[in-house]
Amino acid sequence: MTGDPMAQHAAANPDDAMSVAARAAFVLAPLGLFVLVAWVLATKTLPFDLAWPWIPSLGIEFRFRIDGLAALMLLMITGIGTAVFVYAGGYLAGDPNQRRLFWMLVLFMVAMVGCVTADDLFVLFLFWEATSLTSFMLVGYSHARAESRKAAQQALLVTGTGGLALLAGFIVLAQATGTTRISDIVEIVPTLGETPALATALGLILVGAFTKSAQFPFHFWLPNAMAAPTPVSAYLHSATMVKLGVFLLARLDPAFGEWPLWEWTLKIVGSVTAAWGMVLALRERDLKRILAWSTVATLGTLVMLVGLRGEGAAIAVGALLLAHGLYKAPLFFVAGNIDHGTGTRVIDRLGGLRRQMPWTAAAALLAGASMAGMPLSFGYIVKDVILEAKTAVDVFTFAKAANTVFGSIAVAVAGVAAIRVFWLHPGVNEACDAHECGPSLIGPPLILALLGITLGLFPFYVEDLIAMAGVAMIPGTEVPVIGLSLAAGPVLGSLAVTLAVGVGIYLLWDPLHQRFERIAARTGRIGMASQYERSLTGIPAFAAAVTRRVQDGRLPSYVGLVAASAAVAIVVAIGQLVASGAAAWAAIAWPGLGFAGAAALVIAGALVAPFVRDRVVLLLAVGLVGFGSALLFVFAGAPDVAWTQFTVETVFVIVVAAVLLGLKRLGRGASVAEPRFRPLALGVSVVLGAAVAALLMLATAGPFDATLPEWFGRTSVPEAYGRNVVNVILVDFRALDTLGEIAVVLLSLLAALPLVGALRRRRASAGDVR
Amino acid sequence: MNPRLVILDVVARPLYVVVLLASLVVLLRGHNEPGGGFIAGLVAVTASVLWALAHGPAAAEARLPFRSPLILSAVGVALGVVSGLPALLFGDAFLTHLWGAIPLGFTELKVSTVLVFDVGVYLCVWGALAGYALSLLEADLTPADDERPEPRR
Repeated sequence: MTGDPMAQHAAANPDDAMSVAARAAFVLAPLGLFVLVAWVLATKTLPFDLAWPWIPSLGIEFRFRIDGLAALMLLMITGIGTAVFVYAGGYLAGDPNQRRLFWMLVLFMVAMVGCVTADDLFVLFLFWEATSLTSFMLVGYSHARAESRKAAQQALLVTGTGGLALLAGFIVLAQATGTTRISDIVEIVPTLGETPALATALGLILVGAFTKSAQFPFHFWLPNAMAAPTPVSAYLHSATMVKLGVFLLARLDPAFGEWPLWEWTLKIVGSVTAAWGMVLALRERDLKRILAWSTVATLGTLVMLVGLRGEGAAIAVGALLLAHGLYKAPLFFVAGNIDHGTGTRVIDRLGGLRRQMPWTAAAALLAGASMAGMPLSFGYIVKDVILEAKTAVDVFTFAKAANTVFGSIAVAVAGVAAIRVFWLHPGVNEACDAHECGPSLIGPPLILALLGITLGLFPFYVEDLIAMAGVAMIPGTEVPVIGLSLAAGPVLGSLAVTLAVGVGIYLLWDPLHQRFERIAARTGRIGMASQYERSLTGIPAFAAAVTRRVQDGRLPSYVGLVAASAAVAIVVAIGQLVASGAAAWAAIAWPGLGFAGAAALVIAGALVAPFVRDRVVLLLAVGLVGFGSALLFVFAGAPDVAWTQFTVETVFVIVVAAVLLGLKRLGRGASVAEPRFRPLALGVSVVLGAAVAALLMLATAGPFDATLPEWFGRTSVPEAYGRNVVNVILVDFRALDTLGEIAVVLLSLLAALPLVGALRRRRASAGDVR
Repeated sequence: MNPRLVILDVVARPLYVVVLLASLVVLLRGHNEPGGGFIAGLVAVTASVLWALAHGPAAAEARLPFRSPLILSAVGVALGVVSGLPALLFGDAFLTHLWGAIPLGFTELKVSTVLVFDVGVYLCVWGALAGYALSLLEADLTPADDERPEPRR
């Protein structure tokens, strides 16, 4: 397949490297899916539904639907996926971890396919999170480098936090609409009006979508994710995964599209991201990072277009999604080829590469033309569509300005990627030993870039696809006949403007970069990236401080905290019940002699306990409470419980008494807090006791539901051959529960033994010191 | 030496046997009368604690079956799992208990997987709680052995 790259990336152990056949086999996965999607599109009428039951009790199904939007995404995921798989085969040939990369890519692709076809909020969320996780693994592919690990962690934390917000938003949305099926939700939401619940859901979902699609202010993670190998960057961070946020917004556009909140949030965030991303591109010297910032800007433009009303905007979203995939993926491949051929991606060291890398140069030129929106490329047509969408509706000035910035710098970035490194260079070209790459590295970018040009010449091939994608965002309308054409209209005028400004920026790239770098160095401290860094160190510090305060290692404070919170919770609950008027109090009946005697024991123990100073007497008083309650069980007709309580109390009192006496004899009693009168503890205890008593009086006021006792009493002997119902429940009816419980008892011993052992060692060493 | 009680020392041996026998009775009658594996295990723990008070925690630990509370408890859980397995042979759900009777002429001996399960609970509770109690007793009595206030420095 490839000669030179193989030599360059020679594996430490040649046995670990993948053969050409194995790599080709992996390419079959996206290729097969691509053919399958194409077959579905050709033979079935959209939308095409599939469903399997999953969680029937929550009404959640594995429900999938392929409509125009999903079809467009699917074709890109599998089509660009095929190119990425071919490219990755050559790019990482001989890498011992290549197999892992391929499997992760396959998993990622499956997650993406599931995500764009899901027709259930929670199925979508499941696959959404799967893309975040596989993305984490892929960005951190070169796990030996600290930079990779940091970038992977950042990508996971940002998108994972957004994922949590998304889940919360989905739950609120599902509660508000009563269904989890997306195609139903988009029909129900417009009929509900702007309720607070829906607004909450909207806000949370926007956070999820914005983090995924690297929208301002969550834009900073995407360029850092360029630490991934180039095929991964091309696949995840240009063509597919980062578009998920846009995809989700487009999915929900029919639901929220009429809301001013939706419209303005998307328009403003999208415009700011588009303009800011492009400006930040000027800061970079690394070709991949420049491309990454232009991706951020494109995503911003897409978000803004989703926010715009009207059919034209919907069509523009579909067209730009496709066009961006077709020119950005090849440009990433080009960056990878340059890295591969010269060993660097820093644009200062590159120039005049067209002689050494003619094919890569050709691919770069074609893709760059499309990115710059030159006539005869698909980018030009998309520009036309976007312009039409914007003139059709009232677009506020900032969006227009943002779009001009975006367009101009896109021209400049395309110039840097396609012309500067291959033709002209203002400085010295340091990489003179550059070499062209093998066919598996040239083929994918060349084919994708050629496709971008072909579609520019014959746009009617994808007219139906883009129209169907547009319809998915505006349901209920007929598939429009859109004339994607080469018509020279107002677009030529605007093209001339952006081209002129873009060429200007391209020529002044280096001075602009220096000036901007100086400004950015000053604003860097308040930027989002440094806020992220600060939170990364701040959150654990805050958590540690809180933990030190709340968990001070003293048992009395734990018990006090638990008791006080329990008392507050019960008092609040009772207060609500009384306030609602539903409270009924049980009548107080005179107890029998046995009950009275047992209660007297409990009360005596409780009264003595707060006032004694001697630990052993205190223990006996507490034991009295335990034995008294065991007696209560005897008279309440629960001999098993009573017996258990008696034995537990006995063992407890004996063991604790032995420990206390031992401490006392050693003269180490002072190491434990001295028993004394504690008014606060007494107050908490009294309130908790009163609250529990009130709760019991409330609980026993209603009629007793005897269904379960009757059932057990009836079936115990015939079915389990036992007259002791308690034991029969324990060992037979609920035997699995009991098995779990004894396993927990064993596990708790396993956990406790090392603790006690450590205590013993510490005591022993303390004794030595003394 | 610990100042141990002579009376406790003397009484402990027969009492240990009696309490353990009592725990067995409680275990076996549990299905029809108050009792069962859990309570029986607790009763057995009192026997171990008694022995620990009379002869020290280490001696009490040595008296346990398998000489280790951890193994004893683990064997109990294992018995609980094993008792559920025969049901699988008959195509029933795990832990569906089986009953059988062995005729002995004058009466019949009822055997069941329930008994195996209950013995498992008994051993697990005995082992785990004895483990807790003995290690706590040991934790504070161990330094007592080298207590003799002879400051080493």
